[in-house]
Amino acid sequence: MTVPDDAWVFDTGPLRHFAIQGWLGVLRFLAGERPVYIPDSVARELDDAAEHMSAARAVLDAGWIHVHRSTSRDFSEAFAHYVDRLVGGGKNLGECGVLAMGQIYKCKVVIDDATPRQIAKEKGIQVTATVPLLCEAIRAKKLTTVMVEELADNLLEGQYYLPFRPGGFRQHVLENGLLDYDEL
Amino acid sequence: MRPVLCASATMCENRTVAGIDAQTLGERIRDARKRADLSQEDLGRAVGLERTVVNKIEGGVRKVTALELSDIAAAIGVRMSTFFEEPVPALVAHRSSQGLDTTDSQIDALLAKLANEIEFVASLDVDELGLDAADAVPQAGITQPLTNAEAEALAVKARDLMALSAEEPICQLSDSVASIGLLAFSHDVSKDTADAGTILLRRGGVSLVNSHMKVGRRRLALAHELGHYLIADAYTVDWRVADHSDHAVPMESRLDRFARALLLPNAAVTRQWNEKVARSGERSAAILLASEFRVDMATLATRLKELGLADSETVTSVRKYRTTQADIVEMNLYVPLEELKGTTVPRPFARAVLRLVRDERISRERALDLLQGTFDEADLPHIRERRPDEIWDFVS
Repeated sequence: MTVPDDAWVFDTGPLRHFAIQGWLGVLRFLAGERPVYIPDSVARELDDAAEHMSAARAVLDAGWIHVHRSTSRDFSEAFAHYVDRLVGGGKNLGECGVLAMGQIYKCKVVIDDATPRQIAKEKGIQVTATVPLLCEAIRAKKLTTVMVEELADNLLEGQYYLPFRPGGFRQHVLENGLLDYDEL
Repeated sequence: MRPVLCASATMCENRTVAGIDAQTLGERIRDARKRADLSQEDLGRAVGLERTVVNKIEGGVRKVTALELSDIAAAIGVRMSTFFEEPVPALVAHRSSQGLDTTDSQIDALLAKLANEIEFVASLDVDELGLDAADAVPQAGITQPLTNAEAEALAVKARDLMALSAEEPICQLSDSVASIGLLAFSHDVSKDTADAGTILLRRGGVSLVNSHMKVGRRRLALAHELGHYLIADAYTVDWRVADHSDHAVPMESRLDRFARALLLPNAAVTRQWNEKVARSGERSAAILLASEFRVDMATLATRLKELGLADSETVTSVRKYRTTQADIVEMNLYVPLEELKGTTVPRPFARAVLRLVRDERISRERALDLLQGTFDEADLPHIRERRPDEIWDFVS
């Protein structure tokens, strides 16, 4: 069995944040019929994170999130290339698996960090991020703007780069036409 | 041992790999493990696999997942990509001549790692790396120096290639050699190993200088490595630069001569030695010359001897002179930052890595790794401001 090209493949960061907020159900709703995958490298990062953040465990326990691992040479070679681009001090292995899946199976990857997103673009991999998923959740009336604003501000306090400043989510999505007034 | 996967998550089926690929991959893992002087048991313990499983992986019988392979590479101390790429020809030739069971010395392992890192950065087409400059070397018509006169002539030619005048002191030798495509790194590999080594890359070369030595010896070792690079020696590890006997290893002895001639050009040393001795005596002359040309006293002494500028008594004295703090103050000596001290990376390489960080083509963590610990996170450039149109990258 291979990974279908309509699958979503998640990096550790976006999943961890959805899990911490208790919004995994929202993600499942947004995915709809699309299968959701994580590579084993992301599963490992979540497993490590679960030691001090029990919410991450919810991702691993979610039966609808499939863990993918591959012994294919092409996959390993792609993975190795992304290790060369991203891994230092043992960090960022998760993203390597995500990008390798995007490259090999032509599916959409969900990554928030700027560098792997840039690399995905360079490689022609379909890439999206937390912000558009949150907008979609608001549009689908699964989350309120107030809830998302709070998460967006939390993300900005950490290592996340988002294209607006704290408190700026609402203005950003309006100015860029991501949401209309009546959707907020 | 690391948990491989969460048992409760749904696992999809593995894709298979052609037998020949698994076999080749297994062989590469085995070769790398042996070079790192690890047993199958050692490797298995490091990655949480039974020895018998490691044996099967190396035999191409048991397929290995990408994540397992990355663990194996980390445990062996190589980049995962080395299992999929042909090493530079110089490394291939060296390893085949050494045999599969040979364990790499520390300097061999470091050199191979640095060669891989440079080839990786070069593969991303970063202009800052400057390996184009290496093209001037094969065009210079350089041949191996068979006599001392030819070694002296090669030093003159090397200065010309590096755009240095015939007589000027070489302030930063590592910068000068980089200008013709030789990237020089330093690392304290301990005193019980080689002084330096050099590998020719597909374009350019890489040298590693053992910074356990003092600055004068480090510069002499790098000058010697430059000699190997210029005469296109594919793979060299030098254990005791400047101690080579003319009889036993004539080419190494010629390159020692080349190194001294490069750092202490004949005409400049002859003129300045005579002037300074006449003005201030031999000791002051030696201290001033060693300081100006940044060489150690042993190198200066040998150079004075081979140029016929000093008798054996003077040569012995020069060898024993030590520059004191009083000399530095009273002779107003310029004390530059020590070149190749501790761990250093060549400037063009660092510049190329910083370019890749700025352009978000490699992660910051990887950049710190490539920079060999010479940078902290705070030293890296800040993430650039996005242009307004790039905001659209964040929407699907």
